[in-house]
Amino acid sequence: MLHTPMGRPPLRRARRLVAGAAAVLSLGALTACGDDGGDGGDSLQLWIMEGTNPDAEPYVESLKEAFEEQTGATLDVQFIQWADAHDKITTAMAGDELPDVAEIGTTWAPEFGAAGALTDLSETIESEGLADDLVPALREAATVDGAVYGMPWYAGTRSLMYRKDIFEEHGLQAPTTWDELRDVALQLKELEPDMIPFPVIGGGEYSVDAFIWGAGGQIAEQDGDQWHSTINSPEAVEGIDFYTSLATEDDVSVAAASTWLETDQLESFQNGQSAMVINGNWTVNTLLADDPSWADKIGVVPIPGPEGGFSPSFVGGSLLGEFNSDQPDLAWDLIELMSTGDFASQWAESSGYFPGQQSLLDAVVAENDPLVAPFAQQMSEAGASVPVTEAYGTIQGDQVVTRMVQEILSGDASVQEAADEAAASMDETFGG
Amino acid sequence: MAGESGSGLTGAAAPEEAAAPAALAATVTGRGRGGEPAGGGPREARARRLRRGLRPWLLLAPALLVLAVLLFWPLVRVLQLSLQDYGLREINTGESNYIGLGNYREILGDSFLWTKVLPNTVVFALACVLLTVAFGTLVALLLQRLGRVWRTICSSVIMMAWAMPAVTGTYVWIWVFDPLDGVVSGGLDALGLIDPEQTNWFTDRWAFYAIAALNVVHHGFPFVAVTVYAALLTIPRELPEAALMDGANAWQRFWRITVPVIRPVFLVVTILSTIWDFKVFAQVYLMPGGAGSNEDVLNLGVWSYIQSFSRNEYGMGSAIAVLLTLLLLGITVLYIRLLSRERDEL
Repeated sequence: MLHTPMGRPPLRRARRLVAGAAAVLSLGALTACGDDGGDGGDSLQLWIMEGTNPDAEPYVESLKEAFEEQTGATLDVQFIQWADAHDKITTAMAGDELPDVAEIGTTWAPEFGAAGALTDLSETIESEGLADDLVPALREAATVDGAVYGMPWYAGTRSLMYRKDIFEEHGLQAPTTWDELRDVALQLKELEPDMIPFPVIGGGEYSVDAFIWGAGGQIAEQDGDQWHSTINSPEAVEGIDFYTSLATEDDVSVAAASTWLETDQLESFQNGQSAMVINGNWTVNTLLADDPSWADKIGVVPIPGPEGGFSPSFVGGSLLGEFNSDQPDLAWDLIELMSTGDFASQWAESSGYFPGQQSLLDAVVAENDPLVAPFAQQMSEAGASVPVTEAYGTIQGDQVVTRMVQEILSGDASVQEAADEAAASMDETFGG
Repeated sequence: MAGESGSGLTGAAAPEEAAAPAALAATVTGRGRGGEPAGGGPREARARRLRRGLRPWLLLAPALLVLAVLLFWPLVRVLQLSLQDYGLREINTGESNYIGLGNYREILGDSFLWTKVLPNTVVFALACVLLTVAFGTLVALLLQRLGRVWRTICSSVIMMAWAMPAVTGTYVWIWVFDPLDGVVSGGLDALGLIDPEQTNWFTDRWAFYAIAALNVVHHGFPFVAVTVYAALLTIPRELPEAALMDGANAWQRFWRITVPVIRPVFLVVTILSTIWDFKVFAQVYLMPGGAGSNEDVLNLGVWSYIQSFSRNEYGMGSAIAVLLTLLLLGITVLYIRLLSRERDEL
């Protein structure tokens, strides 16, 4: 290839090749150190997730202005995708290019905290007098061995969503106990044969978690420093058994749902297939944006408890974490600005989530919007968090709980067998 | 600057220049044969020889440097990581944490590898390679028999299957086989063969991999078809004609003439298909249950990814990746030896 027909090397081309390769290499070198600029001087870098808030742009603009006015420092905001945010933060950690402040999922705080990448904010939160005004489940989720690895920013939870129009048509009542849930699902099976009364999904952990907690069980418990799984305890098994028996015995779900993710479940609700689903409060906005007439068709109640009351539901959301910024005071100013007061409630309102401050959440409950208040009630009265330990991040990555549900739904294992297996798998990760 | 050093030389330099890359290629294929060109006189000649010997390397240097940065260094890092217990903590601090062969011991001692992951990877890959090559060859034979218009139409359609990105293709197949609303389940339901409400193909290991195989074969056969078709064109027309005169039927002509003549091409497409099919990732990972919630369907690629990026055990994930690479290297070496023996015989 480097020869002309004369057998002489084409000098000019060779030179061009060398120059080209040099250019490619130096380009690589440039991009490798291109991101360092944001850290220096009076500028702060912030990463937030894209897509949570449809009106993010104007929010960010006014946040930048307010921040500059308050501190004199400029703010550099980058949007990242939820789907690859975890990988992106890990990569940035490896390349030493972490932002000063970033939005992180509540379940990531223990991992990144234990890795030493996040700053412990407990003292600052305490001294600012904010500690008592945080939504308990969120605060719990951010706290590992007394250290608080992030300030609650916004959160959401899952409750029971049902087709109000269909329930009214047949004179059915929203369930308030597990037996009622089963009965109403069985009735729907008769009354609406083309619908799926209540999909039991195998691709999402948080539905079955609610029933484990509702029955009084726990996924895992901490004993001193040591965690051990209790997902195979009698109470937890009772919850798993109830949830999966809706599919395996009562047949009010479909086989396809055993590999459904939460998004598939939402889709089945959205296209009119499912009558009842356990879905997050943020999905209400998705439905309404798609078709405003959903407002008259959706009913929401907190997930019922076995004999009344509520089954606790996972409170998931975002924390604002400080990644060992070299300007910690400035970073805290930003975190406080975003997570309290006007900016916090404004973000929560336009994103369809709830603020992480209890006083702001109480205000939402008081408004009594039928599509919002039940979720808010679920969050403040029956919110829960998954085991707060680095190891549980690994367990979730390993999909231990969803695997357990799938095994039961596909008939590969009995409830107790699958739960024992899941507990053994968790204990191996906990190192028990 | 590489050009400068050679500017004083005449065209005589050309053969030696070619020698070094060729020797490199020859050692890769295991058939070294390079030799030093006979040098003229004392010091000057030696210096010239050195310059000549150096020049191809100088010319290759930029490319090699890029390869070293992009390929060799990551390879070394993966090897290093596979010998460590490397998690988020190590990523954050940048410290090393060597544990010797612990990761390998754990993986190889895990019955999960031998009963699930390895069979899933190997059996699936072998089945896919067989089907891809067989189907691709049939399509190539079809193309050879078609007239110009239909050949153009067929090859365009084939190219479309080839051009479709793996991710898109996978979602299409998932949609086709959706247990509740898919085309296939709808058809079988209409025939009264299945009840869609009770069906979920993705939870069954065999059904899962049958769908994945359809996907992989559909995506892989165009390459085989096009390559084999090109090879078919190189068969001298006299050969099949003579066989026809001797009364050989189509089956005999295919096995006695076509296959022996284009055997090297078959070997190449088989090697490449094997490599591709062993390391399928997206086609399995994106299927319902394929991302780890169904242990029955994990293959080496997905297992490595889950260990690394879902469990943050980068050392373990790297060790699995190294094993996959060794497996592929072993198979490739086997093929290449077969290929070179073939060439020697010709």
